[in-house]
Amino acid sequence: METYLILRRSAWRDLDEAEEARARAATESERLSELVEWRRSYTFAECDGALGSVCIYEAVSPEALRHHAATAVLPVDEIVKVVETVVVRPDPAATAA
Amino acid sequence: MNAVAVAVHHGLLERDEALACLLGAHAEARAGTGQLVLVSGEAGIGKTSLVHAFAATLGPSTRVLEGRCDGLFTPRPLSPFADIARATDGAFAAALERGGAPEVFDVLLDLLAWGDTILVVEDVHWADEATLDVLRLLGRRVDALGALAVVTYRDDELDRTHPLWRVLGEIASGTAVEHVRLEPLSEAAVAELARGRDIDAGDLHGRTSGNPFFVREALESGAGHIPESARAAVLARLAGASSEALGVVDTVALAGPEAPVWLVERVCRCSSDQLEDALATGVLVSDGDEIAFRHELAREAVVETLTPARRLALHRRILGALAEPPNGRPDAARLAGHAEAALDRDAVLTWAPAAAREASAARAYREAAAQYARALRFADDRPLDERAQLLEGRSRACYLADDQVEAIAVIKEAIVLRRQAGSPQEEVRAISELTDYLLCRGHVSEAQTAVAEAERLVADQLESGATAQVLNSRAHLVWTDDIGRAVELSRKAESIAAAHDDAFAEAVARVSIGTLELRRDLAAGRRLLEEAATQLRATGQKEQAARALNNLGGYGALVYDHELANEFLTAALEYCVDNTLDLWRINVLALLARSLLDQGRWTEAADTATWLLEDPRESPWPQYEALLVLALVRARRGDPGAHDSLDASLHVGLSPEETFAIVDGAAARAEVAWLAGRPTEVDGATRDELGRAVARDSEQDVARLAYWRRLAGLESTGVAENDADPYALGARGDWDAAAAAWSQRGCSYEEAVALAEVDDVDALRKAYDVLRGLDARPVAEMIAQRLRRRGVRKLPRGPRRSTRDNPVGLTARETDVLRLVADGLRNGEIAERLFLSRRTVDHHVSTILRKLDAKTRGEAVAAARRAGVIVDP
Repeated sequence: METYLILRRSAWRDLDEAEEARARAATESERLSELVEWRRSYTFAECDGALGSVCIYEAVSPEALRHHAATAVLPVDEIVKVVETVVVRPDPAATAA
Repeated sequence: MNAVAVAVHHGLLERDEALACLLGAHAEARAGTGQLVLVSGEAGIGKTSLVHAFAATLGPSTRVLEGRCDGLFTPRPLSPFADIARATDGAFAAALERGGAPEVFDVLLDLLAWGDTILVVEDVHWADEATLDVLRLLGRRVDALGALAVVTYRDDELDRTHPLWRVLGEIASGTAVEHVRLEPLSEAAVAELARGRDIDAGDLHGRTSGNPFFVREALESGAGHIPESARAAVLARLAGASSEALGVVDTVALAGPEAPVWLVERVCRCSSDQLEDALATGVLVSDGDEIAFRHELAREAVVETLTPARRLALHRRILGALAEPPNGRPDAARLAGHAEAALDRDAVLTWAPAAAREASAARAYREAAAQYARALRFADDRPLDERAQLLEGRSRACYLADDQVEAIAVIKEAIVLRRQAGSPQEEVRAISELTDYLLCRGHVSEAQTAVAEAERLVADQLESGATAQVLNSRAHLVWTDDIGRAVELSRKAESIAAAHDDAFAEAVARVSIGTLELRRDLAAGRRLLEEAATQLRATGQKEQAARALNNLGGYGALVYDHELANEFLTAALEYCVDNTLDLWRINVLALLARSLLDQGRWTEAADTATWLLEDPRESPWPQYEALLVLALVRARRGDPGAHDSLDASLHVGLSPEETFAIVDGAAARAEVAWLAGRPTEVDGATRDELGRAVARDSEQDVARLAYWRRLAGLESTGVAENDADPYALGARGDWDAAAAAWSQRGCSYEEAVALAEVDDVDALRKAYDVLRGLDARPVAEMIAQRLRRRGVRKLPRGPRRSTRDNPVGLTARETDVLRLVADGLRNGEIAERLFLSRRTVDHHVSTILRKLDAKTRGEAVAAARRAGVIVDP
């Protein structure tokens, strides 16, 4: 598996919607565990008040990530492959939650 | 009884979960969704014990059909199903007699459809190719069968190239497949087994590594200490046996896995008391008709103790007895193995070719090739023509078993022998075979030389079927450049073949004529090929029937007739899968992947390419095409990995003479570079190939390469005026007309790319919308920039919402089928409702389950509801 970063821009109106999406993503990544593995995500505020996210996954291919997104009903704006990870300090718990 | 109770009852320890899985799968199957359970683990881990404990829980209304693969010599084709045939009525035996995996699978379907039936196939790590084909078909269809199939295999001795991996990979992704891996026993379980005995359980566990077979043998050996190996434990049991009893044990060890009682009696000339003595050692078991080792590991242990002289003598006696069975036909595969072990040359040359022919008839080509090789090892001093015949048989079997390199090398040896023997007609036939293999790998000039040689030979001969074959080969070689001559040659081949009753050459010619006609008159060519396909299917000429469907659908893909491509490539795929025509299957998949890409169905295109690449077989072109399709889907979406796929395509061994594929590759490289905004790379990808296309005067190839150069702002000359070809229109700068031509062909992405070059805000907006619908981010961003430069603001960002509405990429027909599944209809009812065949509905349901990644119909419906594909009223 390779590590990928997925950008989902202006995907949700509020935290409730994002929470629902997160639950779907978790269920589907559990079900598709041979294809994808969800590492972590960062939800961010867009300028227009909507929410987006950057998600870090391990996957067998970008197609597997799109399949996961399709079955979990998550938008995909961009997928990029991670070639190196530099951890300076672990995320503070509050951000990681 | 629940799983724990069953396990306790049968003395099985730490197998509760595995039993629960089998019981659960059986319950699912009885409720209508068939299941396939794969049981794996090392030798002696208790796979058979588990299956037997499970079978013992079943009531009298459940029928268990059980078969086992041979662990000896070259496996007999379909041997587990021969076991089942013996236990069922004559239909199965007749199917085995008649044919290969598809025929056996059809009868199996009927058997499994009857009441509550469980199929058990044991030890598939020894399975022959045809048995593996049955398993593949089973894996695909089991969910629709409403039956349970249990398959066991050893996973500790399979090297990475073992053919079982490929089959497991294919069926493990199925929708109703469970995998149970049996692990060694814990120390606590070993202590439980050793309770009441004067043995240190920790020591026993350590020495046996928790292997249940070894543990039991150690406990039962009566050696008074823990034997150092499972082998020593088995041999300790035989320590006090009489020499007659040991004779029986040795005979069963070499004649197994199951030795008929009559055979043992004949070989050992023993009394029933002596047979009883042998059984009393505890290493053998008997059902009255056959004697077998209680465990394969025990058999292996005994074989290892036999001296070469003892083995030779026993094999000779077994060979003599098997050649004259009291009833039925002699078993050629078994005899060939004993003949070789007995170093009996005449017997090998009698039985090995017979076994090879039987294996070929059953489509177990790997086993057929091995039997021919066995015969050839003993054929050094046989007449040239006899050796050539064996080589030809081996070559064909290798080709069909996907070892094309070996097939080519072997047929070349046969050609030399035919020449030395002065058999020109046979030499021509062998050269025709060679030509087919060479063309399959794209070695065009070598094929040219071979055909010229065959033509020289037939010129001096009376007309025969071989003449027709040479004409067919020549027609293939002039196919692209001179359609009129190719038709003329094929017509001549057809009439000569008919006059000489050469059904194969006639079928080849007929499919060629239909395919060539497509290019002159689509409707007429289509009619010819449809008729040919129907007739060839009826007469069992499967390869040519598949070729007819492949060519018809492939032509649709080539000329962007999506309806034609979809109809016939789907039909071809279904036919190839059902009939295990793997070489054609991957060809069809490559064409289908390309067509789906052209149709803008990118998810399906990538899925199809991935399916092909997971089981690529040896032919280079389909792999190459699949990698290009995958690269283009990734690049067009802006996903990573496009370059990886392009790089991999350079290493599949494509012949440099496959011009159309080379141009495909150059165009794909150019497109990927253009998407990345790198005109220098576009230049590098196209410059040399364009020069070659100009030199060979190929208008189409020139236009295709010049198209990308023009888009990248590079110079390109020599593009012919051709208003029908969107590439030519684009390459000459007429982007309006190019967009219209793409639109007419139903290629929305290509249309949008062309529109983006039209200097017009409306055209750009239209292109932008189309591209967002396709998730084609890089070009969409390119257009967004152009629109912004023209003062357009507030462009919607990201993929269009509507693409999220049917996110799983179901076709309209699949969605129809899924809605009826959601209404609770069975496949037969859906078939009636939608005027489709039952088989087509089965196929749709399998595809839906695959796309939704669901194991059951219920899961599929739930997933579709979640994804909003079906909405409750």
